[in-house]
Amino acid sequence: MKRKVFPVFFALLLSVISAFPVFAESNVSRLLDEPDLLSESEETDLESKLDEISERQKVDIVVAAVNSLDGMTAMEYADDFYDYNGYGFGAEKDGILFLISMGERDWYISTTGYGITAITDAGREYISEKFIDDLSAGEYAAAFTTFADLCDEFITQAKTGEPYDVDHMPQEPFDPFATLLVAVFAAFIISLIATGIMRSKLKSVHSQLVADSYVKEGSMKLTKEKDLFLYKKIDRREKPKNEDSKDSSSSGGSGGSKTHTSSSGTTHGGGGGKF
Amino acid sequence: MAALQEYKCPCCGGAIAFDSTIQKMKCPYCDTEFEVETLANYDEELRNEQADDMKWDMSAGNEWKDSETKGLRSYVCRSCGGEIACDENTAASSCPFCGNPVVMMEQFRGTLKPDYVIPFKLDKNDAKLALKKHYEGKRLLPKIFKEQNHINEVKGIYVPFWLFDAAADVNMRYKATKIRRWSDSRYDYTETSFYAVSRGGNLEFERVPVDGSVKMPDDLMESLEPFDFSEAVDFQTAYLAGFLADKYDVDAEKSEKRANDRIRKSTERAFDATVKGYSTVTKEAGSIQLQNGKVKYALFPVWILSTAWKGQNYLFAMNGQNGKMVGDLPLDKGAYRKWLFGLTGIIGAVFYIALYLIWII
Repeated sequence: MKRKVFPVFFALLLSVISAFPVFAESNVSRLLDEPDLLSESEETDLESKLDEISERQKVDIVVAAVNSLDGMTAMEYADDFYDYNGYGFGAEKDGILFLISMGERDWYISTTGYGITAITDAGREYISEKFIDDLSAGEYAAAFTTFADLCDEFITQAKTGEPYDVDHMPQEPFDPFATLLVAVFAAFIISLIATGIMRSKLKSVHSQLVADSYVKEGSMKLTKEKDLFLYKKIDRREKPKNEDSKDSSSSGGSGGSKTHTSSSGTTHGGGGGKF
Repeated sequence: MAALQEYKCPCCGGAIAFDSTIQKMKCPYCDTEFEVETLANYDEELRNEQADDMKWDMSAGNEWKDSETKGLRSYVCRSCGGEIACDENTAASSCPFCGNPVVMMEQFRGTLKPDYVIPFKLDKNDAKLALKKHYEGKRLLPKIFKEQNHINEVKGIYVPFWLFDAAADVNMRYKATKIRRWSDSRYDYTETSFYAVSRGGNLEFERVPVDGSVKMPDDLMESLEPFDFSEAVDFQTAYLAGFLADKYDVDAEKSEKRANDRIRKSTERAFDATVKGYSTVTKEAGSIQLQNGKVKYALFPVWILSTAWKGQNYLFAMNGQNGKMVGDLPLDKGAYRKWLFGLTGIIGAVFYIALYLIWII
């Protein structure tokens, strides 16, 4: 049974390959701008940036903008685009693809090989938060540049053996304005309390609520002191599942990357959304 | 014209007054000191004297209209013959012409006679010093207010107080819970036990004071508490010489409510405090029956200082027994703003640097 699958698979593969322009590995462009979103100079700048990072890190960073997904899902399209264009360094086809489709207004990041290790699900979430505003606003060059720079940073981090993940995110840049706002707000609240105390010192006239100082000494007698037990109620609540239990299926909350297999049989990670 | 009492020095005939520092009567002219105890008898003698019966020729002036004399009393000074006009509640004052201290005896006759008096222990200078101290350590007090420090009037007043004794019978019901938590490998357990708690008993109060003078703000007088009643003595008019005094103009029945409010609250708190060892306690029902005992009438010593600033009157009161000074002070809005924004700036800068350092690490 299995033997028969292979020829069919290869036939399919060949037919799909023909759908995409085929480049030799050396001259495949890392930037595709089908809807012509970028200006000439932006295009050259971005392309040289992608090439530089890819060559240095030995991980392909690819940006592709298309008009339509041709009825495929963003994941399928991205994975196939990556696989059949022959991107990727080494046997594992290390690389990261950023796909946007103007027709569906979908974006998708597909990771392969070392890209899966470097860009975890949480890491992808982080990166997408950084470019999504630019992307929605139509600042495509800015969004793509942000993506490329973050990929570079994430790969560098992953090479230290400790990729950015759920519990270990890149440090936010110091935001002087937001910090100032927080500091001043907290200081204002404290000052309000401090000056409130100073203000209260000016007021010394208060009505007396109680007559405690006029209780006749030893006059308090408790003649009745009954504590009657009525009933009890027990609530039982299941403990929350332990986070560090070794689950075979790596769930999103526990870090790492979820992976799937594309039509060509290559393992990809990734995810996307609308912009 | 009503009876008036002056205390004359047996040596020189000068008008003598109670001296708070030596707790004796002292003649300001010949420095003779005079034990207060002996005045008890002296008082009796004086009380037998008849008021002067003088006829005045009123034809020269206009008749006082009824509405004008209402609330006013006039007395004739025994030393100089001058007419002393004062409030109908005034019980001790001084003659505006010769300055001699006088006591209006009729304000203390019959049921009006106070049971106790706490004599002044602090004098006018103590009051002025206390006011100065009252201004200290208050950063938001306007500087000009502190520096000008115009005290319009410093008056030593014996303020009438009603003293209420009461016994409270208490019956309280509470609902209380105890919570116990534990867990095993799979579950967390919370066990809530419900209890019906009841408490009963009684509590007695002695001499809860209520200000019996309309002129004195109630909250100002309550802020002066407590007065140490162990220093109270049986009332003698001699203690009043040299001070001002009012007789009560709020009667005991009207004052009782105020005392009972405070007694109720105290009783409630005292019994609430006996419900211990529970996680939550809520009061379900409760009754406090008050049996009011004897009511006493006493005069307590109060120094009243008043000052006006920017068209507003500021009234201060000092407990004439222990020196406790109270009185609200004006707020320097400019200083308040300076402190508020200054502190915000300094603390904000410190926070900012701290946040930056945390970020670097």
